[in-house]
Amino acid sequence: MSNLNYGDEKISQREIFLAVPSMLIAIGILVFPRNLAENTIAADGWISILMSGFIAIMFTWLVAKIASNFPNQPFLKYASFLVTKPVAMLFTFLFVVQGTLLTAFEVRAIADVSHTYLFERTPVQVINFSYLLVVIYAVSGSRAAIFRLNALFLPIVLVTTTILLLFSIRFMEFNNVMPMFKTDIKDLGKGVFEGTLSFTGISILFFYISLVKNPIKVPKKAVLGMATVVLFYLIIFLTCIAVFGNVQTANIRFPFIELAKSVEIPGGFFERLESIFFVIWTMAIFTTTVMAFDIALFALTSIFSKVKKQTFVFILAPVVYFLTTIPNNSYEIGVMDKIVTYFSLGLSSTVLIVLWMMYIFKGGKQGGK
Amino acid sequence: MVRSSLFKRLKRIDLFKQNSQNQQQDDQQKSSAKFTKEITTNLDQNLASIKQMLGDPGDLVVREFLVGSLDSRAAIVYISGLVDEDLISNNILKTIQSNLKDFDENVLDKIYKEVISITDIRKVQSLDDVSLAILNGSTAFYLENFDTVLVMGTNGGETRSIQQPESETLIRGPRDGFVESIETNAALIRRDIKDPNLRLKSHVVGKRSKQKLVLCYIDGIVNPELVKEVNRRLETIDIDYVSDSSYVEQWIEDSFLSPFPQLMETERPDKVSLNLVRGKVAILVDGTPFAIIAPITLGDALHSPEDYNQRWITASLLRLLRYLSAFFALFLPSLYIALVAYHPGMLPSTLTYSIAATREGVPFPAAIEALIMAITFEILHEAGIRLPKVIGQTIGIVGGLVIGEAAVSAGIVSPIMVIVTALTAIASFSVPSYSFALTLRTLRFAFMIAASFLGLFGIILVYIMINIHIVNLKSLGIPYSTPFSPTFSQDWKDLVIRAPFSFVTRRPKFMKTKDEKAKDIKPE
Repeated sequence: MSNLNYGDEKISQREIFLAVPSMLIAIGILVFPRNLAENTIAADGWISILMSGFIAIMFTWLVAKIASNFPNQPFLKYASFLVTKPVAMLFTFLFVVQGTLLTAFEVRAIADVSHTYLFERTPVQVINFSYLLVVIYAVSGSRAAIFRLNALFLPIVLVTTTILLLFSIRFMEFNNVMPMFKTDIKDLGKGVFEGTLSFTGISILFFYISLVKNPIKVPKKAVLGMATVVLFYLIIFLTCIAVFGNVQTANIRFPFIELAKSVEIPGGFFERLESIFFVIWTMAIFTTTVMAFDIALFALTSIFSKVKKQTFVFILAPVVYFLTTIPNNSYEIGVMDKIVTYFSLGLSSTVLIVLWMMYIFKGGKQGGK
Repeated sequence: MVRSSLFKRLKRIDLFKQNSQNQQQDDQQKSSAKFTKEITTNLDQNLASIKQMLGDPGDLVVREFLVGSLDSRAAIVYISGLVDEDLISNNILKTIQSNLKDFDENVLDKIYKEVISITDIRKVQSLDDVSLAILNGSTAFYLENFDTVLVMGTNGGETRSIQQPESETLIRGPRDGFVESIETNAALIRRDIKDPNLRLKSHVVGKRSKQKLVLCYIDGIVNPELVKEVNRRLETIDIDYVSDSSYVEQWIEDSFLSPFPQLMETERPDKVSLNLVRGKVAILVDGTPFAIIAPITLGDALHSPEDYNQRWITASLLRLLRYLSAFFALFLPSLYIALVAYHPGMLPSTLTYSIAATREGVPFPAAIEALIMAITFEILHEAGIRLPKVIGQTIGIVGGLVIGEAAVSAGIVSPIMVIVTALTAIASFSVPSYSFALTLRTLRFAFMIAASFLGLFGIILVYIMINIHIVNLKSLGIPYSTPFSPTFSQDWKDLVIRAPFSFVTRRPKFMKTKDEKAKDIKPE
């Protein structure tokens, strides 16, 4: 409905700002402190986070900038202009693959975590299936509604996390953070790579910026969103190290959730807070899953513009479900994680570099407006 | 297909012809006058026509009398019960008979202009208008040799007087509530808002009932797009009879599949006025004390007019309490199921033991136990509403047995389940909007079923689903989740808390009102 200008075709710049953390805060951060602690000594990982954060922010700015140079043009259109149609088609198709893989990974991973923290006996397939149904329900609605969902869930997630962090101050030990600056450059580099991998979901901006009516401030907003994420990662990593120490962090499967386990709310009614925390964290993972799926749909509908979105939902959903059944244990889920993130990183950086090169080569602006 | 429908139509025309022929024959037997849709100069024929149009009902009063010195015949026609008979005898009959002495060709004009002392008077020249007016409680005045009828507004008859609204009671605030008469209701709003820009736009709903419907808004505040859209939707209503404004609500709402009410009903004029000045619109329907307010958002369901009638600190706390009780009403039984059946480890161990001990004799799993209690409570609730007040006590006593000590000692439910059920019930009663409370009651069962299959994970999945539904849902084009999302942080001053009046200087931004400032802010 067009009245009151709440059309469902367009989103605001603020919603881009919210979409970035909603996309990037997901399963990754649950295991991120472990991966980073494995490579670094004490709390030295913060250097890696800051460096990878800087790379990620640059990356975000470049993605947002090139997309907002072509306001209101879908990815396929401006990519076709820059790198010819067949290549743009190929990129778009690869984004479909990325979206599908990422969705499948998130769905599978959430089943894995809930198996650890909520119930042992319920079959993974049931959890996958019910979760996927809700995801399908979300992507079948309007696209702007997904952004509204982000705005509803992100504050809940952030507030819960803040509360958790505040309560864990009591358990921090300064000795855990020391000694500083002991990690050698090579290991820090590994950490930087690890961090960069966590920030690859940013490629959603290639697509979503075309929905913003007047994307002048979008690069700034996206960078702001990315900075929030980096700060978030940094605080969580430092808290995990300060509470558990480096060695323990490197050996706990989900350090971030385990943080909730060690915390007690004074005079609290609930025990085993980690279950409640994980349940709330489900919302953060959910927004990521939905956006990943939605990007796949967005890319598909831009290739086949005559087919309805719902049709692709019904085509992709079984594929996603099939993909979720492939990994059998947490090790294989880890492998899946690697495949997805390396693929995303490779794809997004290739696309970004190629697009920018062509943009500069073509002299930029003439086709932009 | 086409042929058969054509055939039917032909047949119907035939039947109609026969009917009218029969009727005409009957009438010819009764009187010599013929039925016409025109108003003629012949009084007898006019009277016969109106009688026939209305089917000569028993409550149609036709009073014939002589006017003036020339003994010209005249008649007044009305339906007893719809009119104020004192008004007719004093202000029409008496004045005409005593004041009208001479008689010329302008006599009707003279009556129209000078004689009759009723404010609402019209000249009418078609039978349809006359009959509609009579059915609305007006009185028609016929005069021999004139083909114009005077229609006078003499609405009256028995109506309910203004009383305190029963469905929304306040401790502090105006005590008047809407009644069944739309004129009174409109007047109640006018009394609150003495703004010349208050618009009351009339529509007619009901193909048969021809009820008056009034759309209220304040021009200059409301977004014109909104009014246009509401008018457009109101014009699509195609229904025989509207017994309550709910018919209108269900006809113009955005999604009939949603469990959420997308328009708000109220019996309180002050609530309507409050929303009008915020750029919303209200719809009044003749024959019902419930007005509709539109559009609404999620927060509106948990707001009460009382919030503004108490000081802001207490009002804010009460509002927080209402959000909390909405949470209880929605989640409590499902949390019980999830915690007892799936995650007993999450409760403190002492509590887990005591729950386990009390549940020892209970034969059912927690999910069944909770469902039994919830359904019992719903039955009790429904019975309590349908019962006449005189035997209402019975429900209290019997209900106490089913949800109480007796059920526990019979070993059907555990005492903690009784507490959960009772707390849920109290919590759902503290939601100000009845239709929203119904929504919560419905969704509670969805949560319980999800919790019995997937525990806490099921609850969060249903919660996410409801959120997805809410962000997709719209009320007259405004997202239901506004102003939470799309975020209008300025409007949060009057959302979960109720900030002091001096802080709320603007009308709700999400309404996109024409006149944003609610107050004149002096430049510093």
